[in-house]
Amino acid sequence: MDFWDKIRHLDRRVIFILMVLGVGIPLVTRIGLPIRITPDVRRVYDFIEGLNPGEIILVSYDHDTGTLPEMIPMSDAILRHAFSKDLKIVGMALRAEGSGIGRQNIRRIAGEFGKEEGIDFVFLGYRPELTATILGLGSSIGRVFPKDDRGFLIEKLPLMQKVLNYGDIDLVISISDDDTPVYWINYANARFQAKIVPAVTAVMATTFFPFLNSHQAIGMVAGLKGAAEYEKLIGISGSAGRGMDAQSIAHLVVIGFIAVGNLAYFLGRKK
Amino acid sequence: MDIGFIYNYLIASERLGIWIAAVLTLAIYSFLYKDNPIYRFAESLLVGLSVGFLLVVTFETTILPKALEPVAADFGRVFVKGQFGMIGSFIWVLVPLVLGLLMFARFLPGAGWISRISLALYIGFGAGASIPANMQSYILSQIDGTVRPFLTINNLLATVNAIIILAGLISTLFYFYFSKAHTGAFGMAARLGTFYLMIFFGATFGYTVMARISLLIGRLTFLLRDWLGVIS
Repeated sequence: MDFWDKIRHLDRRVIFILMVLGVGIPLVTRIGLPIRITPDVRRVYDFIEGLNPGEIILVSYDHDTGTLPEMIPMSDAILRHAFSKDLKIVGMALRAEGSGIGRQNIRRIAGEFGKEEGIDFVFLGYRPELTATILGLGSSIGRVFPKDDRGFLIEKLPLMQKVLNYGDIDLVISISDDDTPVYWINYANARFQAKIVPAVTAVMATTFFPFLNSHQAIGMVAGLKGAAEYEKLIGISGSAGRGMDAQSIAHLVVIGFIAVGNLAYFLGRKK
Repeated sequence: MDIGFIYNYLIASERLGIWIAAVLTLAIYSFLYKDNPIYRFAESLLVGLSVGFLLVVTFETTILPKALEPVAADFGRVFVKGQFGMIGSFIWVLVPLVLGLLMFARFLPGAGWISRISLALYIGFGAGASIPANMQSYILSQIDGTVRPFLTINNLLATVNAIIILAGLISTLFYFYFSKAHTGAFGMAARLGTFYLMIFFGATFGYTVMARISLLIGRLTFLLRDWLGVIS
C-alpha cells in the first residue's frame, strides 16, 4: 500500500483529531486575522445607529439551545449596541427553549448597562404557533402577551404603555436557527410593514439573500462571521471575533482535505 | 445565613454545572470514536430534557394562561357568582378550548372523524393567512426586486448585478419547466439554470460547513475556557 492508498483509506478519526487541533490551537494562541465588514451587516448596524434614544426594538429568540454558539454572540453584540444608544428592548420567543435563553441574555446585557426591567426592557416570554402570534402582535401585543414572563400585567409596565403593536416598534430582529424570519417577513413586513432583520445561523443565510435583494429585510447578520463583523463595528473584542480565527484555520484544514482527497483519488485512478 | 457560605455555595453550584455540561459534551463527542452506551445515554437525556422543557413551558405560558385560567374565571363568574351577562365571554373562551380538545378525538376508536372539524378550521386559517402573504413575499416583492434595479440604473456595477440576477431567475425557471424538452435554445437556457442552482448549492454547503464548525468552536471554547480555564 503506497502513500496515496493510505490517504484514500485514512481513518476518519484522524480527520476529526486534525479538525479539533485546527479549531483548538487558534482559540488558545489567538492569531487576530482581519475581519471584513459585509454590506448586509453594515446596513443593520447603520439602521440601529440611526435610531433615536427611546425608540424600540423587538428581539425575538426563535432558536433552540443547539445553536447557541452562533446565536449568543450576535445577540450580545446587537443588544450592547442597542443599550449603548439608550434604545428600548422588547424581548420574546417563538421557541420554547428560546424563552429561557432570551430571558437570561437580555437581563445579562441589560445589567452591564444598568438598565431597569419594565422601563428600559421587557421580556414577554414564549408563544407557540408562529403565524397566529406574529399576526396577533400586529393588532395588539397585550392580547398576545397579557403578562410578561415574570407574571406582571404588561399594561402596568411603563415601557409597554407606549407599545401597542408594530406601529410603535422601529425594528424587529428575529434571532433564529431556522426559517422563522420568513414568517416575520411574510406577516409582519408584508402585512404591517414592520422592518425586519434576520439574525440567523450560517446554514440559513442563503435562504434570506432574495429578501435582501428585494429590500424585504433591512440587512442580515449571519452566523459567527456576522457576529464577529458586528462586534468589530461596535468596537468590542468578543467571543465571535476570537472564534473567527479558529473558523478560518478550520476552513483551511477542510480545503486541505478536499485537495488531498481529490489528488489521492485521481492518482489512484491512473494506476 | 453567612454571606461567605452562600457565595461558596453558588460558586460550587456553578462549578458542578460546568462539570456536568463538560462530561456530557465529551459523552456526545465519544460517538466520533464509535457508538457507545455513554453517547446513547447523553443523547436520550438531551431528548428527554428538551421534550420535558417544551411541555412545561407550553403549559405554563400558553395552556394555563390562555385556556384554563380564562375558562375557570368565566365559569366562576357565570355559574358561581351568577353574572349571566358574562355568558358571551365564557363561550368566547370555551369554543377554542373545545375545538382544541376535539383534536384528541383521533385517539378514540370510531370517533377520529370529529378531529377533522378542528383540523379543517386550522387548515382554513393557515391557508387563508399564508396564501396572500406568500404571494406578496415570494412573488410580487421578488419580481419587484428583480425588475426595479433596471428602472433606477445609476452605475455599471449595479447594471451588471441586475442582469446576472435576471438571467438567473429566467434560466432557473426554464430548468423547472418540464412540459417542453430541454433541447436547442431552450435547453441552453435550462443548462444555464443548472449552473445557477449549483452555485446556490455550493454557497449553501459552504455556509453549512461554517455553521457546523461554529458549533465546534462554541463547545471547544466552553471546554477550554469555562471548564479547563486554558483561555481567558
